[in-house]
Amino acid sequence: MNAIEHIPTVCPCCGCGCGIELVLKNGEIAGVEPLKSHPVCKGKNCLKGKNAYLYANSEERLTTPLIKKNGKHEACSWDEALDWIAQKLSEADRDAVGFINSGKCTNEDLYLIQKFARIVCKTNNLDNASRFCHSTSVPALLSTVGAGVMPTSTPSIEKADCVLIMGANIQETYPLLAQKVIIARTKGAKIITADLRRTPTVKNLTDLHLQIHPGTDAALINGMMKIILDQGLANTDFIEKRTSGFDELKAYLDTLDLQEIEKITGIKTEQMKDAALSYASAHNACIMFNAGIAQHAGGVETIQTLADMALLTGNYGKPGSGVNPLRGHSNGEGFGDMGTVPVFYPGFQKVNEETAGRFASMWDAADLPAKPGLTYMEMVEKCPFLYIMGANPAMSAPDINALRKAFEKKELVIVQDIFMTETAQMADVVLAGACGAEKDGTQTGVDRRVQRLRKAIAPVGDALPDWQILCRLAEKMGAGEHFAFKTSEEIFEEIRNCVPQYRGITYERLEQAGGIQWPCPDEGHPGTETMFVEKFGTPDGLAHFQAAPYKAPLEPPDDAYPYILTTGRLNFHFHTGSMTRRTERLQNEISEAFAEISPQDSENTGIADGEEVILRSRRGEVKTRARVTPDIKAGQVFLPWHFPQCLANILTGPSAGPPSRMPEFKFSAIQIEKVESDGK
Amino acid sequence: MENNLYLAWSPDATIQGMGSSGGAVTALLRCALENQMVDAVLAVKKRNNSRFDAVPTLITDPELVHETAGAMHFAPLNMVKIIKEYLDGAMDMRVAVTCKPCDARAFIELAKRNQVRRENLFLVGLNCSGTYLPTVAEQMIREAFGENPQDLAGEEVDEGKLIITLKDGSTKEKDLEELVRQGYEMRENCLRCSYKVPRMADIACGKWGNNGKSATFIEICSPKGHEFLDAAAQNGALVMEPATNEQIEKRKQKETEAVENAQAREKQEIEAFKRYSSEERLKYWLGHLSRCIKCFGCRDACPICFCKECYLEPYRGCIPGGETPPDIMFQLIRLSHVADSCVNCGQCQDACPMEIPLTRLYSVLNSELADIFDYKPGVDIDQPPPLTTVTEQELSIDAPDIIGENSSDR
Repeated sequence: MNAIEHIPTVCPCCGCGCGIELVLKNGEIAGVEPLKSHPVCKGKNCLKGKNAYLYANSEERLTTPLIKKNGKHEACSWDEALDWIAQKLSEADRDAVGFINSGKCTNEDLYLIQKFARIVCKTNNLDNASRFCHSTSVPALLSTVGAGVMPTSTPSIEKADCVLIMGANIQETYPLLAQKVIIARTKGAKIITADLRRTPTVKNLTDLHLQIHPGTDAALINGMMKIILDQGLANTDFIEKRTSGFDELKAYLDTLDLQEIEKITGIKTEQMKDAALSYASAHNACIMFNAGIAQHAGGVETIQTLADMALLTGNYGKPGSGVNPLRGHSNGEGFGDMGTVPVFYPGFQKVNEETAGRFASMWDAADLPAKPGLTYMEMVEKCPFLYIMGANPAMSAPDINALRKAFEKKELVIVQDIFMTETAQMADVVLAGACGAEKDGTQTGVDRRVQRLRKAIAPVGDALPDWQILCRLAEKMGAGEHFAFKTSEEIFEEIRNCVPQYRGITYERLEQAGGIQWPCPDEGHPGTETMFVEKFGTPDGLAHFQAAPYKAPLEPPDDAYPYILTTGRLNFHFHTGSMTRRTERLQNEISEAFAEISPQDSENTGIADGEEVILRSRRGEVKTRARVTPDIKAGQVFLPWHFPQCLANILTGPSAGPPSRMPEFKFSAIQIEKVESDGK
Repeated sequence: MENNLYLAWSPDATIQGMGSSGGAVTALLRCALENQMVDAVLAVKKRNNSRFDAVPTLITDPELVHETAGAMHFAPLNMVKIIKEYLDGAMDMRVAVTCKPCDARAFIELAKRNQVRRENLFLVGLNCSGTYLPTVAEQMIREAFGENPQDLAGEEVDEGKLIITLKDGSTKEKDLEELVRQGYEMRENCLRCSYKVPRMADIACGKWGNNGKSATFIEICSPKGHEFLDAAAQNGALVMEPATNEQIEKRKQKETEAVENAQAREKQEIEAFKRYSSEERLKYWLGHLSRCIKCFGCRDACPICFCKECYLEPYRGCIPGGETPPDIMFQLIRLSHVADSCVNCGQCQDACPMEIPLTRLYSVLNSELADIFDYKPGVDIDQPPPLTTVTEQELSIDAPDIIGENSSDR
C-alpha cells in the first residue's frame, strides 16, 4: 500500500525563505509542492523552489568521507578521516586554522563550527559569503541605524507606496520578493529601479529605470537627497526626534552640483528629480538593495546614502519601509547571527575580552579568543589550515587563479559538503555532509525569519549532518564535553541561551508556517515584523546621518582593458550552482555561461551574437559565447557566475580595504576578443 | 425512481461532535475503509491543528479518519494532483476522495483521458460556496475580525456572510462584500464558479437543506454512491432518512441563489473584457504574461495537464530554455492544451509567483468555447473533449474573441 506524506520545510535557494512541502511517497521524495499556508510565498514558488532538494537523490552525492592519497580521493571511514584531521589540527599553531562556512548550513551547524573554532582551535578566524555580499552593508548600516539587518518584513513590502530597487534583479533572483512588489504596484506604488542593465525586473516591474553608470550609486542618492532638501520634502519632525548629524549631511549636500552628478552617473537631472520626488512624497517608501551596489569598493558609502535618504524622509520604523539588504543565502541572516564571522560572537556580540569572558563562562571553557580573526580572503591567503563547510570559494571568491595557487601551498584543506564541488576537488579531506532534506535545524532568511528545516529522508550513504561531524571531531580532539549534543534541538536551546535575539524562539513555536522573526526576547513575544519603531539599534537609540561622498571604483577601464565587467545571477541557478546545476529541470533550462554585450560593441568589435569570445582581465581569462543585447550599454559586459566552464571570478579581483574588504565583483576592467573560427 | 436525496448523520456521538453537520462524511469514509470497499481515503486534515494549514492525507487506518473531520474554507488544496501525480492515477488502488466541485470535475476530465481510473475512485463531493487562500484568511481573521487566528474553531459561508466560530464558542459574522472592500476576497475562480453542488461526483454532501438539524444533506449521484451509502446504513455507520420536500426546497433555493450570484459575476467579468478593443485586450494580456518567470507553477499545478513529455520543456525544442520571460508560445501552448477542458479550479493562478491572472484567461476562453462546442468540462464522463471530436464545420467558426481589459488591474 502506498503511503504519502507532506513534510513542510524551507527552500534552500535564496534568502526569501519560501515554504515548500516535500511530498514523500513510501518514504522517498516524489515531488515538491509550494506551501499554501506560508506567509511569505503564499503557495507560490519559483522554479528553483519547485525543484528544491531534488538533488538529494543525485548520483553525484558524496556518500562517504574521502582522503586524498597520491593525488586521488579515496573513500575511508569516519574514524580514519576524523582521526587524521584531529591529529593535524592539534599540531596547528593558534590562529593557523581558518574556518570558512556557508549560509547553506543550518543555524545549528554554524553555531557549532564557531564554537569549535573558538573552543578547540582558539581562533576567531571565521568568515563566510557575507563578506562577498554584505560586508559593506553591515558597517554602513551599523554607523547609521545600528543594525545591518532588513528592518521590515517581506510580506509588508506589499504596503509600500514607492519601492526603490538598487542593484538587484529581484524578478530573477528573489522572485517572491518581486511578487510583493507586483502587489504593491497593482495598488498604485511607483517602482524605481537603478540598474546598469535592462533586466527583467526593469522591463516588467519598473515604472522608472535609472540606467546608471556602474558604481556611481552614491552620487545618485546624494543628488536625490539634495533635491529632496531643496524641495522642502525632508521630514523635519522625524529628523529632529530620531536622528543626529543632519547639519553635517546638509552642509555636505550643499556643496554638490547636480550637473556634476549627472555627468558621473549618466542619469539626467530630470530623472533624478522624478525619482527623488516619488520617493520623498510616498507615505511608505521602501528601499531594497543587493550586490549591485554592495559589491563595490565604495559600497559602504552608497549604503550610507541610502540610510540617509530613508532617514531624511522618515522612512524607518513602519511596515513596508526602511533600507533592506537582500540576503542571497537561505540562511543569509543566520550566518551572521550565529557569530560565524571574525568580529562577532553569536548574537552580534563584539569580539573583545569582555565578550570572550562571558562566552567562556557560558560555555564553561577557558582562554577563548578575544581579538578579531582574519577575514575570508585573508584566511585563503594566510592560513595553512582551512576548514571549509558548505562554501565553494573556488567559484565564488575573487581572482580564482590566485586562490588556486594559495590552496596548493596549504598544509591541510578540509571540505565538508554534499557534492564534490570545485573547492572539494582541491581538498585533502572531504567530509560527506547531509543535505537540508536529510536533517533537522533552523535557518534565518532575509527578514530575520527563523524557520524550521525538517528532516524528510535519511542521509544518503554514510553522510552526516554538519553538526554531528563537528561533534565527533570535537570529541576526538578532547573537547567532547562541549559538544555533547544528541539533537539539533539541543543545540538550538543553547543558541537561544546565548543569542538574545533568539531567546523566545523554540522548536515548538517554530511549528507554525513562516516561523518567527527576531528579535523575540521571550516565549510570549510574537516576534518583530518591523524594527526601529521607537528606537534605532545605536547606543543612543538615534539614527546618525553620515555624509558619504561617492567613491570611484578601484579598477577603472583603460586603453589596455577598456570594458567594464559586471557579474550576476540568473533566474534558473543559485550562486555557484552546486545544487542547481545538479537539478535536472534547472540544468535543462540553461547550463552554460554567456557574455552580454551591446549592439554597438558588437559592431565595433565584429563579435556577432553567439560567437565565441575570450574575456581577459589582469588576472586571467575565460572563454564563452557572446549574447548581443540592447539591454546593456556600450562599454559594459555582463557575465553570470554560476558555471564552472566559464568562471567569472577568474576575472574579478580588486578589493576594498577595511572595514569591508569587499571584493569589487561588480566592476573589473577587461578586454574582449573574438575567438577566430579556426580555433585560434 | 429510487430516492436519491437524504439527510444523514453518524449515530456515534463522538463522530457527530467532530464533523460538521452530523459527521456523515467522516462516518461514511470510516465505514468504507473498515469494510474494505476502498484501500485508502484521501482527505484533508489540519496540520498543527491550524485551520490555515490544511494538508492532504492518505489514510489506510480507519482509526485515523476522524483527523479529517469538519469543513474547511481556507484549504484550496489540489486533491487531483495527489491521485494523478503521486498515486499513479489510482490505477491499482481503490481510493475514496473528498472533493470540491472543481476537484470532482478535474477527475472526470482526467478519466476521459485515461489518466485516472474512475472505477477505482469513490468521489465524495462536498458542496462548496467558495474558498479563501489561507494566507488571506489568516490576515482577514486577524485584521478584519480582530481575532487571534489560533482561536478560530470553525467558519462557514452563508447568506452572503462569513461566519466564524471561536474556540470559546462565540460567533462573529461579516458581510462578504464588506470584507471585499477591505481587501479580503475569496479566490477569484470561486466567485465565478457556478458548480456549487458536485453532482459529477458519486455523492454530493453539504449542509444546505439540513434546516438546522445536525445532519448532512446528501444527494446520491451514481450507483456507486448508492452502494457505499447502503453499506454504511446497513452497517449502522450512518442514519439516513429521506429528505423532506421542505428541506429539498430550501436546498434548491440556496443553490439557485449561489449559482445566480456566480453567473452574474462571470458575466460581469466577460463583459468587462468585451468592452475593450482587440489592441487593448492584447496589451492587457501581454502586460501580465510578460512577467512570467517560467517557474512552471501553472503547469505543475494544473489538474488537467498530464503529458509525460511536455512541449514546454526545453528539450522538446519548442520553447528555448533559459529565457526570462519565456517565448510567448509558452503561454499559448498551455492555453491551447487546457482551455477546452479548464475546470476553473484556480490552482494555476494560486501558484503563480508573478500574479498573472491565469485562471481568468483560461476560464474566459473556456466559457466561449463551451458555447461553441456545447461542452461543459468535467460534468459528463461520456462527453469527449471537444478538441478530440472537432468537426469541419466547427473549424470554420471565427476565432472566439476572448481577450479583454479589466479596468481594475494594470
